[in-house]
Amino acid sequence: MSSDVKPTEVLDVRGEVCPYPDVKTQKKVKKMKSGEVLEVLVDYPLSAERIPRSMEKQGHEVLKVDKTGTGEWRIVIKIK
Amino acid sequence: MIETSLMVSGLVVGIVFGFVLQRGRFCMNSAFRDVILMKEYTLLKAVALAIVVQMIGFHLMATMGYIQLYPKTLYWGAMIVGGFIFGIGMVLAAGCASGTTYRVGEGMMGSFVALLGLMIGGVITSRGALSELKSYLQPTEGALKAITTDNPGSLVGNANLTLANVISLDPWILVVIIAIVILAILVWKRGHEETKAGGTLYERIFKMGWNWWVTGIAIGVVGIIAFLAFKDYALGISGGWFSFLNALITGDPDELNWFAFLVIGVVIGAAIAANIAGEFKLRAPDARRLLQQFIGGLIMGIGAVIGTACNIGHILSGIPQLALSSMLGGIFIILGCWVTAYIMFMRG
Repeated sequence: MSSDVKPTEVLDVRGEVCPYPDVKTQKKVKKMKSGEVLEVLVDYPLSAERIPRSMEKQGHEVLKVDKTGTGEWRIVIKIK
Repeated sequence: MIETSLMVSGLVVGIVFGFVLQRGRFCMNSAFRDVILMKEYTLLKAVALAIVVQMIGFHLMATMGYIQLYPKTLYWGAMIVGGFIFGIGMVLAAGCASGTTYRVGEGMMGSFVALLGLMIGGVITSRGALSELKSYLQPTEGALKAITTDNPGSLVGNANLTLANVISLDPWILVVIIAIVILAILVWKRGHEETKAGGTLYERIFKMGWNWWVTGIAIGVVGIIAFLAFKDYALGISGGWFSFLNALITGDPDELNWFAFLVIGVVIGAAIAANIAGEFKLRAPDARRLLQQFIGGLIMGIGAVIGTACNIGHILSGIPQLALSSMLGGIFIILGCWVTAYIMFMRG
Protein backbone atom coordinates (compact mmCIF):
# COMPACT_ATOMS: atom_id res chain seq x y z
CA MET A 1 0.00 0.00 0.00
CA SER A 2 1.41 3.37 -0.93
CA SER A 3 1.88 5.86 1.86
CA ASP A 4 -0.39 8.53 0.41
CA VAL A 5 -3.79 6.86 0.52
CA LYS A 6 -6.22 9.73 0.68
CA PRO A 7 -8.59 9.28 3.58
CA THR A 8 -12.30 9.67 2.89
CA GLU A 9 -12.75 10.98 6.42
CA VAL A 10 -10.56 12.04 9.33
CA LEU A 11 -11.56 11.41 12.95
CA ASP A 12 -9.59 13.36 15.53
CA VAL A 13 -10.05 11.87 18.99
CA ARG A 14 -6.93 13.36 20.55
CA GLY A 15 -7.47 14.28 24.17
CA GLU A 16 -10.27 11.75 24.60
CA VAL A 17 -10.12 9.21 27.41
CA CYS A 18 -10.79 5.50 27.61
CA PRO A 19 -12.84 4.10 25.80
CA TYR A 20 -14.13 7.07 23.77
CA PRO A 21 -11.49 6.84 20.99
CA ASP A 22 -12.57 3.25 20.36
CA VAL A 23 -16.31 3.94 20.69
CA LYS A 24 -16.17 6.96 18.37
CA THR A 25 -14.10 5.07 15.80
CA GLN A 26 -16.61 2.24 15.89
CA LYS A 27 -19.53 4.63 15.36
CA LYS A 28 -17.76 6.33 12.46
CA VAL A 29 -16.85 3.07 10.76
CA LYS A 30 -20.47 1.91 10.89
CA LYS A 31 -21.56 4.99 8.96
CA MET A 32 -18.94 4.61 6.23
CA LYS A 33 -19.20 2.67 2.99
CA SER A 34 -17.15 -0.27 1.81
CA GLY A 35 -13.80 0.70 0.32
CA GLU A 36 -13.71 4.12 2.02
CA VAL A 37 -10.69 5.04 4.10
CA LEU A 38 -10.82 6.41 7.64
CA GLU A 39 -7.92 8.16 9.30
CA VAL A 40 -8.02 8.20 13.11
CA LEU A 41 -5.80 10.57 15.13
CA VAL A 42 -5.35 9.36 18.68
CA ASP A 43 -3.10 10.20 21.63
CA TYR A 44 -4.14 7.47 24.03
CA PRO A 45 -1.64 4.56 23.94
CA LEU A 46 -4.07 1.76 24.81
CA SER A 47 -6.47 2.79 22.03
CA ALA A 48 -3.59 3.08 19.55
CA GLU A 49 -3.11 -0.67 20.06
CA ARG A 50 -6.71 -1.69 20.65
CA ILE A 51 -8.34 0.10 17.68
CA PRO A 52 -6.23 -1.70 15.02
CA ARG A 53 -6.82 -5.00 16.83
CA SER A 54 -10.60 -4.62 16.94
CA MET A 55 -10.81 -3.27 13.39
CA GLU A 56 -8.94 -6.27 12.03
CA LYS A 57 -11.12 -8.60 14.06
CA GLN A 58 -14.15 -7.06 12.34
CA GLY A 59 -12.60 -7.64 8.93
CA HIS A 60 -11.55 -4.08 8.08
CA GLU A 61 -8.09 -3.56 6.66
CA VAL A 62 -5.65 -1.61 8.82
CA LEU A 63 -3.44 0.09 6.24
CA LYS A 64 -1.18 1.90 8.66
CA VAL A 65 -0.42 2.67 12.27
CA ASP A 66 2.06 5.56 12.34
CA LYS A 67 3.53 7.12 15.44
CA THR A 68 3.30 10.75 14.37
CA GLY A 69 4.78 12.36 17.46
CA THR A 70 5.25 12.02 21.19
CA GLY A 71 2.25 10.06 22.38
CA GLU A 72 0.38 10.53 19.10
CA TRP A 73 -0.64 8.02 16.48
CA ARG A 74 -2.35 7.98 13.08
CA ILE A 75 -4.35 4.88 12.22
CA VAL A 76 -5.54 4.39 8.63
CA ILE A 77 -8.38 1.93 8.14
CA LYS A 78 -9.96 0.70 4.89
CA ILE A 79 -13.59 -0.21 5.44
CA LYS A 80 -14.67 -3.76 4.62
CA MET B 1 6.56 7.58 60.64
CA ILE B 2 7.26 4.21 59.05
CA GLU B 3 10.82 2.93 58.88
CA THR B 4 13.12 4.31 56.22
CA SER B 5 13.65 0.84 54.78
CA LEU B 6 9.90 0.54 54.21
CA MET B 7 9.76 3.98 52.56
CA VAL B 8 12.51 2.91 50.19
CA SER B 9 10.99 -0.47 49.45
CA GLY B 10 7.57 1.10 48.85
CA LEU B 11 9.03 3.62 46.46
CA VAL B 12 11.17 1.06 44.60
CA VAL B 13 8.38 -1.53 44.27
CA GLY B 14 6.08 1.31 43.17
CA ILE B 15 8.47 2.46 40.44
CA VAL B 16 8.73 -1.08 39.06
CA PHE B 17 4.94 -1.53 39.34
CA GLY B 18 4.32 1.78 37.54
CA PHE B 19 6.74 0.82 34.78
CA VAL B 20 4.97 -2.51 34.25
CA LEU B 21 1.49 -0.93 34.41
CA GLN B 22 2.40 1.60 31.73
CA ARG B 23 4.13 -0.87 29.43
CA GLY B 24 1.35 -3.42 29.79
CA ARG B 25 -1.43 -0.77 29.70
CA PHE B 26 -2.75 -2.70 32.67
CA CYS B 27 -6.12 -1.32 33.68
CA MET B 28 -8.91 -3.38 35.17
CA ASN B 29 -11.59 -0.94 34.06
CA SER B 30 -10.58 -1.65 30.47
CA ALA B 31 -10.11 -5.35 31.22
CA PHE B 32 -13.65 -5.86 32.49
CA ARG B 33 -15.49 -3.23 30.45
CA ASP B 34 -14.01 -4.37 27.13
CA VAL B 35 -15.40 -7.86 27.63
CA ILE B 36 -18.94 -6.59 27.14
CA LEU B 37 -18.19 -3.45 25.15
CA MET B 38 -15.80 -4.76 22.51
CA LYS B 39 -15.56 -8.51 23.06
CA GLU B 40 -11.89 -7.83 23.82
CA TYR B 41 -10.18 -10.19 26.24
CA THR B 42 -6.54 -9.13 26.01
CA LEU B 43 -6.29 -7.25 29.31
CA LEU B 44 -8.62 -9.68 31.07
CA LYS B 45 -6.15 -12.44 30.21
CA ALA B 46 -3.34 -10.39 31.75
CA VAL B 47 -5.41 -9.92 34.93
CA ALA B 48 -6.19 -13.66 35.15
CA LEU B 49 -2.56 -14.62 34.66
CA ALA B 50 -1.38 -12.12 37.27
CA ILE B 51 -3.86 -13.61 39.76
CA VAL B 52 -2.60 -17.15 39.09
CA VAL B 53 1.07 -16.16 39.43
CA GLN B 54 0.36 -14.41 42.72
CA MET B 55 -1.90 -17.16 44.06
CA ILE B 56 0.89 -19.68 43.65
CA GLY B 57 3.56 -17.22 44.84
CA PHE B 58 1.68 -16.08 47.94
CA HIS B 59 0.87 -19.61 49.07
CA LEU B 60 4.43 -20.74 48.41
CA MET B 61 5.88 -17.83 50.40
CA ALA B 62 3.37 -18.43 53.20
CA THR B 63 4.09 -22.16 53.34
CA MET B 64 7.80 -21.42 53.49
CA GLY B 65 7.15 -18.96 56.31
CA TYR B 66 8.24 -15.75 54.60
CA ILE B 67 4.84 -14.08 54.85
CA GLN B 68 1.51 -14.49 56.62
CA LEU B 69 -1.51 -14.37 54.38
CA TYR B 70 -3.91 -11.62 55.32
CA PRO B 71 -7.39 -12.18 53.88
CA LYS B 72 -9.48 -9.07 54.49
CA THR B 73 -12.48 -9.05 56.83
CA LEU B 74 -15.72 -10.17 55.26
CA TYR B 75 -18.54 -7.65 55.66
CA TRP B 76 -21.28 -8.78 53.31
CA GLY B 77 -23.02 -5.42 52.92
CA ALA B 78 -19.83 -3.41 52.64
CA MET B 79 -18.30 -5.67 49.99
CA ILE B 80 -21.46 -5.67 47.88
CA VAL B 81 -22.27 -1.95 48.18
CA GLY B 82 -18.67 -0.71 48.14
CA GLY B 83 -17.64 -2.96 45.27
CA PHE B 84 -20.61 -1.94 43.14
CA ILE B 85 -20.05 1.77 43.84
CA PHE B 86 -16.37 1.41 42.98
CA GLY B 87 -17.27 -0.31 39.69
CA ILE B 88 -19.57 2.56 38.71
CA GLY B 89 -16.89 5.09 39.59
CA MET B 90 -14.12 3.51 37.56
CA VAL B 91 -16.11 3.62 34.31
CA LEU B 92 -16.88 7.32 34.83
CA ALA B 93 -13.28 8.03 35.85
CA ALA B 94 -12.05 6.19 32.71
CA GLY B 95 -9.71 4.06 34.76
CA CYS B 96 -9.53 1.91 37.88
CA ALA B 97 -7.35 2.97 40.81
CA SER B 98 -4.18 1.60 39.24
CA GLY B 99 -5.10 2.66 35.69
CA THR B 100 -5.80 6.19 36.87
CA THR B 101 -2.53 6.31 38.82
CA TYR B 102 -0.27 5.13 36.00
CA ARG B 103 -1.97 7.46 33.49
CA VAL B 104 -1.10 10.42 35.69
CA GLY B 105 2.50 9.40 34.96
CA GLU B 106 1.69 9.47 31.22
CA GLY B 107 0.60 13.09 31.56
CA MET B 108 -3.16 12.57 31.32
CA MET B 109 -4.74 15.45 33.22
CA GLY B 110 -8.16 13.81 33.22
CA SER B 111 -6.70 10.98 35.28
CA PHE B 112 -5.04 13.53 37.57
CA VAL B 113 -8.44 15.11 38.21
CA ALA B 114 -9.95 11.64 38.80
CA LEU B 115 -7.18 10.96 41.29
CA LEU B 116 -8.01 14.14 43.23
CA GLY B 117 -11.63 12.95 43.32
CA LEU B 118 -10.54 9.51 44.53
CA MET B 119 -8.54 10.97 47.42
CA ILE B 120 -11.35 13.32 48.48
CA GLY B 121 -14.01 10.60 48.20
CA GLY B 122 -11.91 8.25 50.28
CA VAL B 123 -11.14 10.71 53.05
CA ILE B 124 -14.74 11.97 53.43
CA THR B 125 -15.86 8.35 53.71
CA SER B 126 -13.19 7.19 56.12
CA ARG B 127 -13.27 10.17 58.50
CA GLY B 128 -15.67 12.78 57.16
CA ALA B 129 -19.31 13.28 56.18
CA LEU B 130 -19.87 9.72 54.98
CA SER B 131 -18.05 7.94 57.79
CA GLU B 132 -21.31 6.83 59.41
CA LEU B 133 -22.31 4.96 56.28
CA LYS B 134 -18.99 3.20 56.40
CA SER B 135 -19.39 2.27 60.07
CA TYR B 136 -22.92 1.06 59.40
CA LEU B 137 -21.77 -1.27 56.62
CA GLN B 138 -18.66 -2.42 58.51
CA PRO B 139 -20.08 -3.35 61.93
CA THR B 140 -17.39 -4.22 64.45
CA GLU B 141 -19.27 -7.36 65.44
CA GLY B 142 -20.61 -8.46 62.10
CA ALA B 143 -17.60 -10.01 60.45
CA LEU B 144 -17.65 -13.71 59.77
CA LYS B 145 -14.53 -15.48 60.95
CA ALA B 146 -13.23 -18.98 60.68
CA ILE B 147 -11.49 -20.96 63.36
CA THR B 148 -8.63 -22.27 61.34
CA THR B 149 -5.35 -23.99 61.84
CA ASP B 150 -4.68 -25.06 58.31
CA ASN B 151 -4.03 -21.93 56.27
CA PRO B 152 -0.41 -22.29 55.28
CA GLY B 153 1.60 -19.79 57.26
CA SER B 154 -1.53 -17.75 57.72
CA LEU B 155 -3.39 -16.34 60.66
CA VAL B 156 -4.13 -19.22 62.93
CA GLY B 157 -7.18 -19.24 65.11
CA ASN B 158 -9.86 -16.61 64.61
CA ALA B 159 -9.10 -15.71 60.98
CA ASN B 160 -10.91 -13.97 58.17
CA LEU B 161 -12.61 -16.35 55.82
CA THR B 162 -11.00 -17.79 52.73
CA LEU B 163 -12.65 -20.01 50.15
CA ALA B 164 -10.55 -22.85 51.56
CA ASN B 165 -12.09 -22.37 55.04
CA VAL B 166 -15.62 -22.35 53.68
CA ILE B 167 -15.35 -25.62 51.81
CA SER B 168 -12.89 -27.13 54.33
CA LEU B 169 -10.22 -27.94 51.82
CA ASP B 170 -6.46 -27.59 52.04
CA PRO B 171 -5.78 -24.23 50.31
CA TRP B 172 -3.11 -25.88 48.18
CA ILE B 173 -5.68 -28.19 46.57
CA LEU B 174 -7.74 -25.15 45.60
CA VAL B 175 -4.67 -23.25 44.40
CA VAL B 176 -3.66 -26.10 42.12
CA ILE B 177 -7.17 -26.62 40.74
CA ILE B 178 -7.81 -22.91 40.10
CA ALA B 179 -4.35 -22.46 38.53
CA ILE B 180 -4.80 -25.42 36.18
CA VAL B 181 -8.28 -24.30 35.09
CA ILE B 182 -7.26 -20.68 34.43
CA LEU B 183 -4.00 -21.62 32.71
CA ALA B 184 -5.81 -24.13 30.49
CA ILE B 185 -8.33 -21.49 29.43
CA LEU B 186 -5.53 -18.97 28.79
CA VAL B 187 -3.51 -21.38 26.65
CA TRP B 188 -6.66 -22.36 24.75
CA LYS B 189 -7.69 -18.73 24.19
CA ARG B 190 -4.19 -17.31 23.84
CA GLY B 191 -5.03 -15.57 20.55
CA HIS B 192 -2.59 -14.34 17.97
CA GLU B 193 -1.11 -11.44 19.87
CA GLU B 194 2.05 -13.38 20.60
CA THR B 195 2.98 -13.17 16.95
CA LYS B 196 3.26 -9.39 17.25
CA ALA B 197 5.88 -7.90 14.97
CA GLY B 198 9.53 -8.32 15.96
CA GLY B 199 12.01 -5.63 16.96
CA THR B 200 15.04 -5.88 19.19
CA LEU B 201 14.66 -6.93 22.81
CA TYR B 202 15.24 -3.30 23.86
CA GLU B 203 12.44 -2.11 21.58
CA ARG B 204 10.09 -4.80 22.77
CA ILE B 205 10.64 -3.88 26.42
CA PHE B 206 10.92 -0.10 26.24
CA LYS B 207 9.21 1.01 23.04
CA MET B 208 6.30 -1.30 22.25
CA GLY B 209 3.29 -2.25 24.36
CA TRP B 210 3.77 -5.64 25.98
CA ASN B 211 2.00 -8.87 25.13
CA TRP B 212 -0.67 -9.78 27.69
CA TRP B 213 1.22 -12.76 29.06
CA VAL B 214 4.38 -10.72 29.66
CA THR B 215 2.28 -8.15 31.51
CA GLY B 216 0.42 -10.80 33.52
CA ILE B 217 3.59 -12.53 34.69
CA ALA B 218 5.34 -9.22 35.44
CA ILE B 219 2.41 -7.87 37.51
CA GLY B 220 2.24 -11.19 39.37
CA VAL B 221 5.93 -11.11 40.21
CA VAL B 222 5.72 -7.47 41.36
CA GLY B 223 2.82 -8.47 43.63
CA ILE B 224 4.85 -11.27 45.21
CA ILE B 225 7.82 -8.92 45.74
CA ALA B 226 5.43 -6.37 47.28
CA PHE B 227 4.16 -8.92 49.82
CA LEU B 228 7.72 -9.96 50.69
CA ALA B 229 8.80 -6.32 51.08
CA PHE B 230 5.83 -5.00 53.04
CA LYS B 231 4.93 -8.25 54.88
CA ASP B 232 1.46 -7.08 55.98
CA TYR B 233 -0.18 -7.16 52.56
CA ALA B 234 0.63 -7.17 48.86
CA LEU B 235 -0.15 -4.36 46.41
CA GLY B 236 -2.77 -1.68 47.05
CA ILE B 237 -3.39 1.67 45.40
CA SER B 238 -6.36 3.58 46.82
CA GLY B 239 -5.23 3.18 50.45
CA GLY B 240 -1.94 4.82 49.53
CA TRP B 241 -3.65 7.91 48.12
CA PHE B 242 -5.96 8.20 51.14
CA SER B 243 -2.97 8.01 53.45
CA PHE B 244 -1.21 10.64 51.35
CA LEU B 245 -4.11 13.11 51.58
CA ASN B 246 -4.63 12.35 55.28
CA ALA B 247 -0.99 13.18 55.95
CA LEU B 248 -1.34 16.44 54.04
CA ILE B 249 -4.51 17.44 55.90
CA THR B 250 -3.34 16.54 59.39
CA GLY B 251 0.32 17.38 58.94
CA ASP B 252 1.04 14.12 60.73
CA PRO B 253 3.73 12.06 58.97
CA ASP B 254 2.49 8.99 60.88
CA GLU B 255 -0.47 9.01 58.51
CA LEU B 256 1.87 7.96 55.70
CA ASN B 257 1.81 4.21 55.17
CA TRP B 258 3.79 1.90 52.90
CA PHE B 259 1.20 2.27 50.13
CA ALA B 260 1.67 6.05 50.06
CA PHE B 261 5.27 5.54 48.97
CA LEU B 262 4.16 2.80 46.60
CA VAL B 263 1.68 5.04 44.72
CA ILE B 264 4.17 7.89 44.39
CA GLY B 265 6.56 5.30 42.96
CA VAL B 266 3.89 4.13 40.50
CA VAL B 267 3.52 7.64 39.08
CA ILE B 268 7.32 7.98 38.79
CA GLY B 269 7.72 4.53 37.21
CA ALA B 270 4.95 5.14 34.69
CA ALA B 271 6.43 8.53 33.81
CA ILE B 272 9.83 6.92 33.22
CA ALA B 273 8.29 4.20 31.03
CA ALA B 274 6.17 6.69 29.06
CA ASN B 275 9.14 9.00 28.50
CA ILE B 276 11.40 6.23 27.20
CA ALA B 277 8.63 4.99 24.89
CA GLY B 278 7.92 8.51 23.61
CA GLU B 279 4.39 8.37 25.01
CA PHE B 280 4.52 11.07 27.67
CA LYS B 281 2.36 14.03 26.77
CA LEU B 282 0.48 16.49 28.95
CA ARG B 283 -3.04 16.26 27.63
CA ALA B 284 -6.60 16.91 28.73
CA PRO B 285 -10.07 16.10 27.45
CA ASP B 286 -12.81 18.76 27.26
CA ALA B 287 -14.40 20.32 30.36
CA ARG B 288 -17.39 17.96 30.37
CA ARG B 289 -15.17 14.90 30.37
CA LEU B 290 -12.94 16.35 33.10
CA LEU B 291 -16.00 16.83 35.31
CA GLN B 292 -17.14 13.27 34.54
CA GLN B 293 -13.73 11.92 35.52
CA PHE B 294 -13.65 13.91 38.75
CA ILE B 295 -17.07 12.62 39.78
CA GLY B 296 -15.97 9.11 38.79
CA GLY B 297 -12.90 9.42 40.99
CA LEU B 298 -15.00 10.68 43.89
CA ILE B 299 -17.35 7.69 43.57
CA MET B 300 -14.39 5.31 43.33
CA GLY B 301 -12.92 6.74 46.53
CA ILE B 302 -16.21 6.32 48.40
CA GLY B 303 -16.58 2.75 47.10
CA ALA B 304 -13.01 1.80 47.95
CA VAL B 305 -13.38 2.86 51.59
CA ILE B 306 -16.82 1.27 52.03
CA GLY B 307 -15.66 -1.95 50.35
CA THR B 308 -12.31 -1.85 52.27
CA ALA B 309 -10.21 -1.95 49.08
CA CYS B 310 -10.02 -0.98 45.41
CA ASN B 311 -9.58 -3.24 42.43
CA ILE B 312 -5.92 -3.80 43.30
CA GLY B 313 -6.41 -4.56 47.01
CA HIS B 314 -9.28 -6.94 46.26
CA ILE B 315 -8.86 -8.44 42.82
CA LEU B 316 -5.10 -8.37 42.40
CA SER B 317 -3.99 -8.94 46.01
CA GLY B 318 -6.99 -10.41 47.86
CA ILE B 319 -8.34 -13.01 45.44
CA PRO B 320 -4.93 -14.75 45.14
CA GLN B 321 -5.10 -15.22 48.94
CA LEU B 322 -8.49 -16.87 48.33
CA ALA B 323 -10.08 -14.22 50.56
CA LEU B 324 -13.86 -14.52 50.44
CA SER B 325 -14.20 -10.77 51.12
CA SER B 326 -12.11 -9.91 48.06
CA MET B 327 -13.94 -12.38 45.84
CA LEU B 328 -17.26 -10.83 46.80
CA GLY B 329 -15.89 -7.28 46.46
CA GLY B 330 -14.28 -8.18 43.13
CA ILE B 331 -17.50 -9.64 41.71
CA PHE B 332 -19.41 -6.48 42.60
CA ILE B 333 -16.70 -4.20 41.19
CA ILE B 334 -17.12 -6.06 37.90
CA LEU B 335 -20.93 -5.86 38.06
CA GLY B 336 -20.83 -2.12 38.77
CA CYS B 337 -18.48 -1.70 35.82
CA TRP B 338 -20.69 -3.69 33.45
CA VAL B 339 -23.94 -1.98 34.41
CA THR B 340 -22.37 1.47 34.01
CA ALA B 341 -20.61 0.62 30.75
CA TYR B 342 -23.89 -0.72 29.37
CA ILE B 343 -25.77 2.44 30.31
CA MET B 344 -23.05 4.79 29.03
CA PHE B 345 -21.92 3.12 25.84
CA MET B 346 -24.20 0.34 24.72
CA ARG B 347 -27.78 1.53 24.82
CA GLY B 348 -29.34 2.42 21.49
